[in-house]
Amino acid sequence: MNDKFKNAEVLLEIRDLKIEGYSDETWVPIIKGVDLTLHRGEVLGLIGESGAGKSTIGAAAMGYARDGTRISDGSIEFDGMELTTATEAERRALRGSRIAYVAQSAAASFNPSHKIIDQHTEAPVHYRIKKRMEAQEDAMELYERLRLPNPKEIGFRYPHQVSGGQLQRAMTAMAMSCRPDLIIFDEPTTALDVTTQIEVLAAIRDIVDQFNTAAIYITHDLAVVAQMADTIKVLLKGEEVEQAPTQVMLDNPQEDYTKSLWAVRSFHSPQRHRPADGTEPLISVQNVDAAYTGGVKVLDDVSFDIYPGMTVAVVGESGSGKSTTARCITGLLPPMSGQILCKGEPLPPRYKDRTRDQLRQAQMIYQMADTALNPKVRISEIIGRPAQFYGGLHGPALKQRVDELLDLIELEPSKYYSRYPPELSGGQKQRIGIARALAAEPEFIICDEVTSALDQLVAEGILKLLDRLQDEFGLAYMFITHDLATVRSIADEVVVMQHGKVVEQGPKDEMFTPPHHPYTDLLLSSVPEMDPEWLTTVLEERGVDNIGESAGN
Amino acid sequence: MGDLTRLVFKRLGLGLLTIFVVSVLIFFAVELLPGDIAEAVLGQGATEETVAAMREQLGLDRPAPVRYFEWLAGAVTGDFGVSLVSGERVSEAISDRFVNTLFLASYAAVIAVPISIMLGVFTALYRNTIFDRVANVMTLTTISSPEFFLGYILILFLAVRTTMFPAISSLSGDMSLFDLLERTFLPMLTLVLVVTAHMMRMTRAAIINLLASPYIEMARLKGTPPWKVIVKHALPNAWAPIINVVALNLAYLITGVVLVEVVFVYPGIGQLLVDAVSKRDFPIVQACCLIFAATFILLNLAADVGAILTNPRLRHPK
Amino acid sequence: MSTFVIVYYSALIGASCLAAYYKQRSVFMLIFTLTLISFVLGIIGGAGALRFVATSAFVLALAAGTSYAFREFLILISKPGLAKELRTAPLTAAFGMFVIFTYAIAGIFAPWIAPHGEAEIIGQAFAPADENMLLGADQLGRDMFSRIIYGARNSVGLALVATLLAFLMGATAGLLAAVKGGWFDQLMGRTADVIMSIPSLIFALLILSIFGTGLQVIVIVVAVIYSPRVFRLTRAVAGNIVVMDFIEAAKLRGEGDWYLIRKEILPNATAPLIAEFGLEFCFVFLLIAGLSFLGLGIQPPTADWGSMVRENATLISFGDITPLIPAAAIALLTVAINFVVDWMLFRTSGLKEQ
Repeated sequence: MNDKFKNAEVLLEIRDLKIEGYSDETWVPIIKGVDLTLHRGEVLGLIGESGAGKSTIGAAAMGYARDGTRISDGSIEFDGMELTTATEAERRALRGSRIAYVAQSAAASFNPSHKIIDQHTEAPVHYRIKKRMEAQEDAMELYERLRLPNPKEIGFRYPHQVSGGQLQRAMTAMAMSCRPDLIIFDEPTTALDVTTQIEVLAAIRDIVDQFNTAAIYITHDLAVVAQMADTIKVLLKGEEVEQAPTQVMLDNPQEDYTKSLWAVRSFHSPQRHRPADGTEPLISVQNVDAAYTGGVKVLDDVSFDIYPGMTVAVVGESGSGKSTTARCITGLLPPMSGQILCKGEPLPPRYKDRTRDQLRQAQMIYQMADTALNPKVRISEIIGRPAQFYGGLHGPALKQRVDELLDLIELEPSKYYSRYPPELSGGQKQRIGIARALAAEPEFIICDEVTSALDQLVAEGILKLLDRLQDEFGLAYMFITHDLATVRSIADEVVVMQHGKVVEQGPKDEMFTPPHHPYTDLLLSSVPEMDPEWLTTVLEERGVDNIGESAGN
Repeated sequence: MGDLTRLVFKRLGLGLLTIFVVSVLIFFAVELLPGDIAEAVLGQGATEETVAAMREQLGLDRPAPVRYFEWLAGAVTGDFGVSLVSGERVSEAISDRFVNTLFLASYAAVIAVPISIMLGVFTALYRNTIFDRVANVMTLTTISSPEFFLGYILILFLAVRTTMFPAISSLSGDMSLFDLLERTFLPMLTLVLVVTAHMMRMTRAAIINLLASPYIEMARLKGTPPWKVIVKHALPNAWAPIINVVALNLAYLITGVVLVEVVFVYPGIGQLLVDAVSKRDFPIVQACCLIFAATFILLNLAADVGAILTNPRLRHPK
Repeated sequence: MSTFVIVYYSALIGASCLAAYYKQRSVFMLIFTLTLISFVLGIIGGAGALRFVATSAFVLALAAGTSYAFREFLILISKPGLAKELRTAPLTAAFGMFVIFTYAIAGIFAPWIAPHGEAEIIGQAFAPADENMLLGADQLGRDMFSRIIYGARNSVGLALVATLLAFLMGATAGLLAAVKGGWFDQLMGRTADVIMSIPSLIFALLILSIFGTGLQVIVIVVAVIYSPRVFRLTRAVAGNIVVMDFIEAAKLRGEGDWYLIRKEILPNATAPLIAEFGLEFCFVFLLIAGLSFLGLGIQPPTADWGSMVRENATLISFGDITPLIPAAAIALLTVAINFVVDWMLFRTSGLKEQ
């Protein structure tokens, strides 16, 4: 119970909510009895890992069950009205007018066929709250408050003509169009880059404050929720873990699970340094330019070295060219100019021209373990194939090698040997991906955002495993990531990329101490921190008009 | 507009190229004939002289590419040469019948297109209800039935047992429009049944595909009523697939017409083609094939251009 | 009031009362709706209409019962994984499977089932049905029933061979195009576009007019006409798979195209390909039936459903349904396959809209 709202009127009261989802021909529980109380003007942060049921609860607060789910038990009372027993028409009359919704991907959630402002005015005109012209005027005013550029004009564009961060703000404006009592924010900044995220966060916080709207803010990012919420509720697998006012929750979590979430970013691998004895770099990227067929240049004069046994983190936002660099190294995208050396020998630009041994040297681990493992092939075959292909192993020797590899990635061989990938959890799949890379006995592994699709605890386990394997086998890693926390914990050297160019590079300790290149600085300062005052401080430092996209250029 | 016009012109160019390639295919397929046309038409009993005379008459001594371009030039101006069997000009044999076929196809299209789009929208709106399931089973059944099965059932029940409509669609020049519509009612109904089922299912599928989009959920969460979600939010984005479906089925009408014309002894170009095939009257076969193929390609072309024109991303470039 | 009417209504009302008493809501609704419909139609159309309604309801109920029993039978005899899938089959799909099963039996054991030979003349032209000839005789006095049974072997067999050939060509080209990409993909795509830009029936007529109506010609022509469709689908399905990271991993390992197709792509493409095979078979079957109907398919005296419709078509004007029987045999099989494919597509697309 948050003291600040002790005397405020209760707006939403959920009691013992149970929701079931339909899968494999039966109804299985997803939400197993959750209570929730929200007062007028209060912002509640719902936090949990994927599958915790946060988004389902958010939809239920609108009396809405997504396709394939049903509310099986409990009560949802919104401002005195029981939503579980209300008719569909009554519930629908609340949506958009009194309870509004802001979705994760604004780009997908705006209808591509209509202008932004027409979608904005749809609800107020439908509910006869405003005439069309009034609603348009109001929209422009909201756009201005949300600091969108050209507020008078931007609404008359189509969604695909506006950038992602701006769309997300336009969607927040749309949610405000009928001045609702409650807004559900469903991971509104997850799909955005950090430098864009900060301005959307600032805009959302401002507008919610200005209209004193109550909100449920759903996210998996602790630092983000710390900026936005008055109260935080932690969920795990459809059940509540604990709830407390933000500051209390951050300072003094009660439950072990919450504590473990807080402690996640504690893992640090000791920083290694380049060998001083004149050893050649294992991989050397030299003045590489690259472009996709018919497109513009996506890499512009990229150079960096990776030494044996070291981890080089390549950091940048989406579109910075970090994954393209990896494609050039593996030979999937032959560079237009420049070359890639392996132990001083130039590698053929196309992977098809490389020898088997050259292919074996460089392995890859992918971001999405779901698409990286063939769902119709047994684990033993997935891991065993590289050993068979490069090492010529077969029969009992092959089986022994697979067992060995499974042991290395801490999965019980007898239990996982003949399973298929869909039967495994996300973290286990990622471990299989690691084992497949190890099976080739490489010296160099490219890790492409390997932890970003995983929950924090699981990601931590993967990082520790990678670190252990690095020490054991003297592996060199190229670690592609947008997450600076990961960089802090595992990197030895850092390469910062922006718009296809290397902006800055150097050892980790130097990179994290000022002075920085302005872009590195922007990137570093845009990463949310656990301190609830962080956003306020950053905004004060930068000035309201100098955040995000505008600051980057 | 630059992108849009370029895309449209590119598509038009591709369409013309396809027609050209198809015309090459149709012409040279006949060249594959074992022996040559003269031998094939006159059969084994023919004497050397008659075969030679026919070769002379058809100009077969000249190289095939030359004859191809003459044929193509003629075809463009509506001259397809002379029938091998009756000696009549092909263009004369075809012209009236082509008009009849077009009439029948348009008659069916005018009725089928609006009905099927409406039914498609309704089944999408009331998906998984009894109405939808019954519609699903019925459309599957009509799609699976050969045109002649439907045709004969209609004849049996509507022409023979109850004599409501004529079973045979003989036409004459001085019939009033009403007579014409009545005479061609049964063949039209057969075509409508087949085509409507297809179009309706595909319209439904196109709309339901879109219903999983986040912007549809957003519209629902804005309190938009279900029918408005479909009409205002799903339909505008479904136009491209729907236009494709319509074009595909109009094209299907043009070919499905062949079987229906035979069932109802309708004096159209399909009937003519079938006769020509059994008599091996190649100039007529080639002409009919070219006409059918060109119509088919043009319809698909129109659909693609329509789909390009309704795409908001292309209509309103960045 | 005839006895039939009295018995019919009392049975219906009795059944509704029983259903209502045992709280079988949907059964009650079904039976009572039928009662009401019969009531209304009975008043308008008299006993004849009532008899029609009753017969249709009985046939539908019989079909539903057969399908239900057949599905339970299949569930019992199949392995647990398959049984779980089968449990999700709607009655229409079960009906489809039953029909396909029946046709297969009829086709395989035709000589043992048919009482007479397919070309054997045993009666007068258009002789009516009797004990010897279950469905009467055709225009030459051959037994209609025997010819229908033999037709299952000839018509379906031919379509099956043509479909297999089309599939072999189309799927191989599609998989190779997806894996190789580049010029091969372009070339195959353009070729498919050109073939598909000629309406299938028209293309078939053109080629048949040149090469005559031999069985091999039909099989090859039909396979060529339909392989582009298989190509496109396979290319699309495989195209979605080759962009997956596991394919990239295999390529970077240095695996050859054949390994990629066999081990990585095919296991993920079987479900849509099987469904497509069913659909493709329907198209091929209908095209060949159409050609036969036009007199350009399987040549007499071989029994074939399409040509049987054509040969007996004149009977229609006398109100006789004989020519409709082979046509119905064609329709029933394609309907059955479509029912099964519809269910399979629903399962694989994972479309769970409510």
